[in-house]
Amino acid sequence: MPTKNVTDERLGKFKNKGKDPAKLREKRISECVELRKAHKNESFMKRRNVTLSSLPDEDALSPDYSTDAVSVYSIEDIIKDVNDHNKEAQTRGCQAARKLLSQESNPPLKEIIDAGLLSRFVSFLGMNDEPTLQFEAAWALTNIASGTSWHTQQVVESGAVPAFISLLASPMLHISEQAVWALGNIAGDGSASRDILIECNVIPALLARISPDTPVGYLRNLTWTLSNLCRNKNPCPPLSAVLQMLPSLIQLLHLSDKDILSDACWAISYLSDGENERIDVVVKTGIVPRLVELMGHRELSVMTPALRSIGNIVSGSDQQTQAAIDAGVLNILPQVMRHPKASVQKEAAWALSNIAAGPCKQIQQLITCGLLPPLVEQLRNGDFKTQREAVWAVTNFTSGGTVEQVVSLVQSGALEAIINLLQVKDSKVILVILDAVNNVFMAAEKLGEMDKLSLLVEELGGLDRIEMLQNHDNEMIYRAAHNLIEKYFCGNEVEEVKVDSTEDAFEFRTADVPRTFEF
Amino acid sequence: MSMSLTTEPPNDGPTVTEENKMTTPEKKEKKPDEVAEEEEEEEEYVVEKVLNRRVVKGRVEYLLKWKGFSNEDNTWEPEDNLDCPDLIAEFLQSQKSAHEGKRKAEGEGDESKSKKKKDDTEKLRGFARGLDPERIIGATDSTGELMFLMKWKNSDEADLVPAKEANIKCPQVVISFYEERLTWHSYPTEDEKKDDKN
Repeated sequence: MPTKNVTDERLGKFKNKGKDPAKLREKRISECVELRKAHKNESFMKRRNVTLSSLPDEDALSPDYSTDAVSVYSIEDIIKDVNDHNKEAQTRGCQAARKLLSQESNPPLKEIIDAGLLSRFVSFLGMNDEPTLQFEAAWALTNIASGTSWHTQQVVESGAVPAFISLLASPMLHISEQAVWALGNIAGDGSASRDILIECNVIPALLARISPDTPVGYLRNLTWTLSNLCRNKNPCPPLSAVLQMLPSLIQLLHLSDKDILSDACWAISYLSDGENERIDVVVKTGIVPRLVELMGHRELSVMTPALRSIGNIVSGSDQQTQAAIDAGVLNILPQVMRHPKASVQKEAAWALSNIAAGPCKQIQQLITCGLLPPLVEQLRNGDFKTQREAVWAVTNFTSGGTVEQVVSLVQSGALEAIINLLQVKDSKVILVILDAVNNVFMAAEKLGEMDKLSLLVEELGGLDRIEMLQNHDNEMIYRAAHNLIEKYFCGNEVEEVKVDSTEDAFEFRTADVPRTFEF
Repeated sequence: MSMSLTTEPPNDGPTVTEENKMTTPEKKEKKPDEVAEEEEEEEEYVVEKVLNRRVVKGRVEYLLKWKGFSNEDNTWEPEDNLDCPDLIAEFLQSQKSAHEGKRKAEGEGDESKSKKKKDDTEKLRGFARGLDPERIIGATDSTGELMFLMKWKNSDEADLVPAKEANIKCPQVVISFYEERLTWHSYPTEDEKKDDKN
């Protein structure tokens, strides 16, 4: 009957109706297997760089289906496909190129460049109707630009820059993000490439992508690219570019994602590494308190660039340094000086040495906020690079500090600690220490306590060391050592102490130091 | 010998100030060729520069260069006799080493990477790969959430996408998937009745 045939036909179109139950069961099982396979392969791909070769489709189960689609794809094939007029071929070729360029070991950057494919890839970037092609080309170019300077230059010369900047506005987020990444690689190549990008107006195009809805992953890439635009000196980025980027950087610094914070802090560290005028631009944004806060962040990747930024800021003018002090840097510096990582301690000591190079008002704040004990600890126990910075801190302190402040320094045990460092090989460090000793004597002189100090230095073993240094190879060292001996350790001549300073007679008693030296 | 200071204004050039003057130096051996001032009551000599410093028998002395005299005429004078605090301060300042003062950052430390390669291993999955959906070939909720196995155009790699995402991004593809798999359940009583009738 006609109706029955029609019914059968229609029924036949359904997946399950009218089919042999056994066959149906078989089919269900094989599909479940394929689903499990796909899931398993996904997690494999995370660990291995293997492309999924089996197609979890009914057709894939047939033995004659090719499973090595990508691995037999040679560069010749890629060239052929990429140069084809057919869009599917182009996409296939481009994707294959991208996969080669993404492999972990020895991606064939030069071969792809030498095959003359770059300009083709760049032309694909402009094909807004072919997002897959755009994406693959963008990814391929990104990886080429991640190579050496030569590789990156090839990408720039093939005209990629304006194309990528246009792609930033793509409605497809993953394509826009890929453009951000590629531009980051180009900017990171050096000042010249960076400035080419800035000339092409990359900054407004980038900043336009920041919104409350922008996903975190995108923002991470964007922040990293911005940091590369702030990076490199000789020359530094143009001031106008910096002023454009700063407000967004400040915004990013108030987020909580650690990768965003890290790269934003690196950006600030680059911007503050330079002339005081550049430091001014950063300080005027009011970001210093946030930087001080981030110095205490638990992630090393955030704390390190925050510390570097603050270190740069206090290497500036007294006012810039005061901004950091007012923001509370002295409260957090002691714990940073005690950080388990040597390089962190070193940076902290360097920052301290610059604060100690300031006016005595700031030196007083160092004392008040308890920076002397951690300084002495660093001098005694620190890694050599840390000790070197700490020695600078001491010398700067003795140079700019008032007499009372120098006395506090000696009482903290710093003098003993630097005397113990006179045996190092580093000539510069020795000179800096001898300088400090000289400065301490000058302070003692004002109190009429030179004899006491000479005695103290002798008891700390300093006299012996300084005497030995008179035989040092380095001319400046033996001269400086000799000077000290002559001025302050002329054994036979008894130097009378000035009598008119009883009220101001501070004692160089080292209260905290285990050895007791009574004056 | 009295060491009082005169207060006569200088007749010399602009570099000489009142404070830089002194009367007859204590240790001067020979008379200078030029006399800096032509005051008749006392001879005045003008300190040009303070060159050095020492302490002898508890007293601070400075080595002075005299204006209009050669360096051979430099003399050590006790601090108390001098009234040139500026020059002394200048000397002391120059004695402070160049070591003091701010030091800028040295080299690069561990900084962030200047370039990054995008690896396949951190590859994007699902819709983030940017491919066009072709059709859904399976579904599972073993991950806790309903997922579709998506075959993409121009790719031989299928992967899982959340149904929630697919419903929005490619609703027609989802509808096709469901339509293909619609089954009608017939009620046994009705069939029985039909059979009975037959």
